[in-house]
Amino acid sequence: MTNEIMAELRKDYIYNLMIKGEREDGRAFDQYRELTIDTNVIDKAEGSARVKLGDTHLVVGVKIQTGTPFPDTPDQGVIITNLELIPLASPVFEAGPPREDAIELARVVDRGIRESQAIDLSKLCITPGEKVWMVFIDVHVLDDGGNIMDAASLGAVAALLTAKLPNKRFDLGDDVNVPMRDVPVSVTAVEIGGSIMLDPSLDEQSIAGTRLTVTSNQEGNISAMQKSGVYPLTTEQINYIVDIAIEKAKEIREKFLVI
Amino acid sequence: MDKKLVLPGEFISDDVERAGEGTFVDDGKVFSSVFGVASLKNQIKVVPLSGKYIPKSGDLILGIIKEITFSNWIVDIRSPYDGLLHISEYPRRIENTEMSRYLNVGDAIMTLVVDVDVNMKVELTLNDQRLRPVKDGRIVDVTPSKVPRFIGRSGSMIAMLKNETHCNIFIGQNGRIWITGKDRDMDLAVKAIKKIEKETHVSGLTDRITKFLKEIKGENVIEKEPDKEEKLRTEEKTEEEKTEMEKSGGILDELLGDEK
Amino acid sequence: MSKPEKLIENGIRLDGRRPDELRPIKIKVGVLNRADGSCYFEFGRNKVIAAVYGPREVHPRHQQKSTSAVVRYRYNMASFSVEERKRPGPDRRSIEVSKVSREALEPVIFQEYFPRSAIDIFVEVLQADAGTRTAGINAASIALADAGIPMKSLVSSCAVGKVDDTLVLDLFKDEDNYGQCDMPIAMTPDGNITLIQMDGHLTRDEFTEGLEMAKKGCLAIHELQKAALIEKYNSQLEGEVNDK
Repeated sequence: MTNEIMAELRKDYIYNLMIKGEREDGRAFDQYRELTIDTNVIDKAEGSARVKLGDTHLVVGVKIQTGTPFPDTPDQGVIITNLELIPLASPVFEAGPPREDAIELARVVDRGIRESQAIDLSKLCITPGEKVWMVFIDVHVLDDGGNIMDAASLGAVAALLTAKLPNKRFDLGDDVNVPMRDVPVSVTAVEIGGSIMLDPSLDEQSIAGTRLTVTSNQEGNISAMQKSGVYPLTTEQINYIVDIAIEKAKEIREKFLVI
Repeated sequence: MDKKLVLPGEFISDDVERAGEGTFVDDGKVFSSVFGVASLKNQIKVVPLSGKYIPKSGDLILGIIKEITFSNWIVDIRSPYDGLLHISEYPRRIENTEMSRYLNVGDAIMTLVVDVDVNMKVELTLNDQRLRPVKDGRIVDVTPSKVPRFIGRSGSMIAMLKNETHCNIFIGQNGRIWITGKDRDMDLAVKAIKKIEKETHVSGLTDRITKFLKEIKGENVIEKEPDKEEKLRTEEKTEEEKTEMEKSGGILDELLGDEK
Repeated sequence: MSKPEKLIENGIRLDGRRPDELRPIKIKVGVLNRADGSCYFEFGRNKVIAAVYGPREVHPRHQQKSTSAVVRYRYNMASFSVEERKRPGPDRRSIEVSKVSREALEPVIFQEYFPRSAIDIFVEVLQADAGTRTAGINAASIALADAGIPMKSLVSSCAVGKVDDTLVLDLFKDEDNYGQCDMPIAMTPDGNITLIQMDGHLTRDEFTEGLEMAKKGCLAIHELQKAALIEKYNSQLEGEVNDK
């Protein structure tokens, strides 16, 4: 499939707006698009969430089943995060196994959850060395309107917050909540012509040379970062993004992701 | 009622002689082939509510260069089929090595479809005074099947748009609209175009858009509510006129008028 | 769960339906921005979403047909759509379902209008509860209309089966698992069958009766499909008038 072609005129238009301090949809540079999160949308999954962030639309399902722990962590559960950019979601996505973009997105979502120790993995142990809970986080992108990154990690956390360990199904007693102890939130910024904008729309994302994702936890500490794209960022730009990302994450967490 | 919403496979008429675009004939009856609005006056045709642009020779369109080969520019024309602009169709003689200097990937052109062959090879040209590379302004995409409504009856809609927004506006048959003017005027034109795109099938469209533009500009509007019957009649005429417009190359006239 | 003792009691099925009753259906047209046409379809506990792209360029080029469009159909189940997590990606079952679903829709599409192009249909199953292929075809047919693709008609689809020696329309999961037969069909509103599959056990007479039952189900679904498309158009008009 060919890449979508973007008219130079359109790039110029968005670029020129930026110089005037404006965005096409009228947002401030640090403003997110309209965000809605609905949970428990898939009752066959142990936890689920549907996220709409502007025109971006995705569903995250959490499946939990028993499995064998890794030999080096015999008393800890396992998290596996997978994200697919299916061809339903965009004219430029192709069928087939995930490519580097999808794998990068999945791994950044995974790192935010893992490194913030959002899930207490020791509580996912059933029999040390033999049997633990395996938590599968599957992100299904339905409509790509830009910034899949943040929508996916918000969806993953929202789905986990409502997920249950299916004890009953495995004859282990009553179902209980997944042991969550932190709420990591990722915030993505792009750089266009020296300016920093949060939550890029699809066109902004295509024009931007580089994006930076910063995932921070409840304490305002950084759990994960990822720079993606070929253009370098200055130290000042990175510091600015980190500050604003932590602040924004707090806002989003308080509004959408209450434990 | 001369206009109605129809679904694929819906029976429209027994008059197979008048079956036109967006219909098919089966067993002596005319059915709709698309989800759209059927008009029964003169020709029976259905204008689909959505769909891709299918190029025809004689169409004036806006294209965007997507690739450069040895002697052709490959042009995105919002269609399943790419347009081909051969180096010899550029208004002046240029060397193969310098093609990208004149038209590079991402550049827009106002172009004419010269020929579409059975294999859907679409040949374009710039070899005409009216045609040119598009270097400034903005481009807005709309549903190709709605293009006639942007032009309006005898070009009334586009004339009004130009008049109210002080912009120059070119409507490509492929549903790409090119606007030039002052920044604020272009903002206004884009707003109006988005509104027309959304409200294509609401009655009294031209009046509504005029009012909308005047309101934004803060001009006083004299409330005039034509009764429903009259609104409906106007709409029907528009629909009818549209057929005529398409045939007579209304856009072309519009454009020529501009150049004078 | 293990096999229930009875799947039908006093003429009522485990989920409270009569034998010839469809599960509740919910349809929403035009739910995706990027796709040219789309439809969300709930069929009982099944949740599927269909998108149509095209006609568009064919990649890879060798799939091109010189005199018509090529229609491609990809049925895919989300990993979380079923009880036991499904490994992502196509398996033998989904490849077969994609093939027969495509063939269920191809007869109504005017493919000859768009030589050398592709019409891509993507169906994603977000939640599965028996009958996902029929839900997918119903959704895809609407998404095609929404994309402005010329068609002879819509296509409607549902299954008929046999549980406790009784013919039942539109099996849900337990009936599918423990029943005696499953027969999905798809048809045009004028009665042409575009898909039929069957596995299990039916007598010759049961087959005839079952087919009639499924046809009635399809006609009922066809009405809902039409209503959903009209609803999309009307809600757009209303939205416009209101935000004036």
